[in-house]
Amino acid sequence: MLNHCIILFFQFCKFSVLCFGGGYMLIPLLTAEYVDQEQVLTMSEFGNLCSVAQVTPGPVGLNTATYVGYVNEGFFGALAASLGLILPTILIGCSAAAGINRWKDTFLVKGMLKGTRLAAVALIMFAVTIFLGMSVFTQTIPWEAFGALFKLARPVLPEGFRVSPAGVLICGATIVLMLKTKLPTTALLLGAAAAGAILSAWF
Amino acid sequence: MEIQTLSRTRRLLLLYCSFFRITALVVGGGLAMLPVIEEIFVVKHKLLTREELLDMTALTQTVPGIIAINSAVYIGMKIAGVPGAITAAAGAVTPPFTVILIIASLFPHLDPKNRYLLGVFAGIRAAVTGMILVTGCRMFRRTVKNPLEIAVVLIFFVLAIMKVSPALLILAAVPFGWYYVWWQTRRLARAEQSNGDSSKVSAESSAESAKNEEDGKC
Repeated sequence: MLNHCIILFFQFCKFSVLCFGGGYMLIPLLTAEYVDQEQVLTMSEFGNLCSVAQVTPGPVGLNTATYVGYVNEGFFGALAASLGLILPTILIGCSAAAGINRWKDTFLVKGMLKGTRLAAVALIMFAVTIFLGMSVFTQTIPWEAFGALFKLARPVLPEGFRVSPAGVLICGATIVLMLKTKLPTTALLLGAAAAGAILSAWF
Repeated sequence: MEIQTLSRTRRLLLLYCSFFRITALVVGGGLAMLPVIEEIFVVKHKLLTREELLDMTALTQTVPGIIAINSAVYIGMKIAGVPGAITAAAGAVTPPFTVILIIASLFPHLDPKNRYLLGVFAGIRAAVTGMILVTGCRMFRRTVKNPLEIAVVLIFFVLAIMKVSPALLILAAVPFGWYYVWWQTRRLARAEQSNGDSSKVSAESSAESAKNEEDGKC
C-alpha cells in the first residue's frame, strides 16, 4: 500500500517534469503508463475519467491525476498523485521565478523549448487520435491495419469499427462553436452532454 | 503600496483563499484562469502589475507542469516567497481534489448500462475531442514556423502512434532542440557573412522576427 503510493508519487513527479505545454500533455503520458503498460485502466474508463476531469471545475491535469491516483490506491493514492504532480512544479517554479529573465535567451533554454514544443504539438495531436477512437469512431483507431497501405493493399478494418454519427455531430459542433463564438467551456460541455443524452435515444 | 501593509499571515491567507476560489469556480484548463487571476491580484488587491502578469503567462507556458499550478506557484512566490508558493499551490489543489474524490466514490454506484448516462459521457468525450484538437491546432500555429519543423512534428507523431513511449519522445526532443537552434544560428551567421545576400537576409530575418512578435501576441 505504502509502496504503491510512493511509486504513484514518483510516477506523477515524472509526468509533471515532462508535461510541457499544459494539462492535455498528460493524456498520452497517462495512457502509455496506465492503459498500455500497467493496464489498471481500460481505454473507455480512461475516456470517462478525462470527461469527468474536463467537466468538473479545476485544472484538467490535476483532476486527472487525483482520479488516476484514486482508482489505483484509494484516498492515499489520490493524495500521492496530486502531491507528486505539484512538488516538481514548486521546486522548478521557485527557482525559475528568480532566474528566468537571466536564462531566457541562452542557447540551452531556447533549444530545450524549441524541441519540447515541437514534441508537445505532436503528442497533443496524438492525444486527439486517442480521443477520436472514443468519440468519432466506435473503437480505438487500428493503426496496424493501415500498415497494409504500404504494401498497396486495402486495410482490413476490424469488426465493429465505424464512424459514430452522434460523435461526429457533437465534435464538429464544438469545434465550430469554439472558433466562431466566445462561449465559455462550461456552456459547450453542458450542451455536449445534453446533446449526447438526446442523441443516445435515437441511435 | 498595499503589499507592505498586509501582514505575512494575511498575505498567505489571501493566496490560499484566492486560488481555492479560482480552481473551485473555473472550468477548463489553466489559461481560462487568467482573467480571474487578473481580476483578483491586479485589479482588486494591486499585488501584481499587468507586466508581471504578462511575464507570468509566458513563464507558466515555458516551464514544465500544469499551467494552473505553475501560475499559482509563480504568483505565490512573487507575493510571499517560498511559503507563498506552497500555500498558493495548496489552495489550488484543494477544491479539485475534494470534488474528484467525491465523484470517484460515487462512480461505482452509477448504473453502467444506463443509456442516457452513456450518452452524456459520449457527448462530453466528443466535445473534449474537439477542444483538444482546437488547442493542438493553436499550438501548432504558434510553434511551427517552416516545412522542416512540420516534418519534425510529423515524425514525432508517427513515432507516438508506433507506441514509442511519450516520455522518451519528450526527452529525445531536448537534444534535438539544442542541435536545431545551434544549426539555425550557424546558418544565419553564414548567410550574414556572404555580403552579396546580406541585405536580402536581413530583410528576411526582420520579417521573421516581426512574424514571431505577432505570434507572441496571439
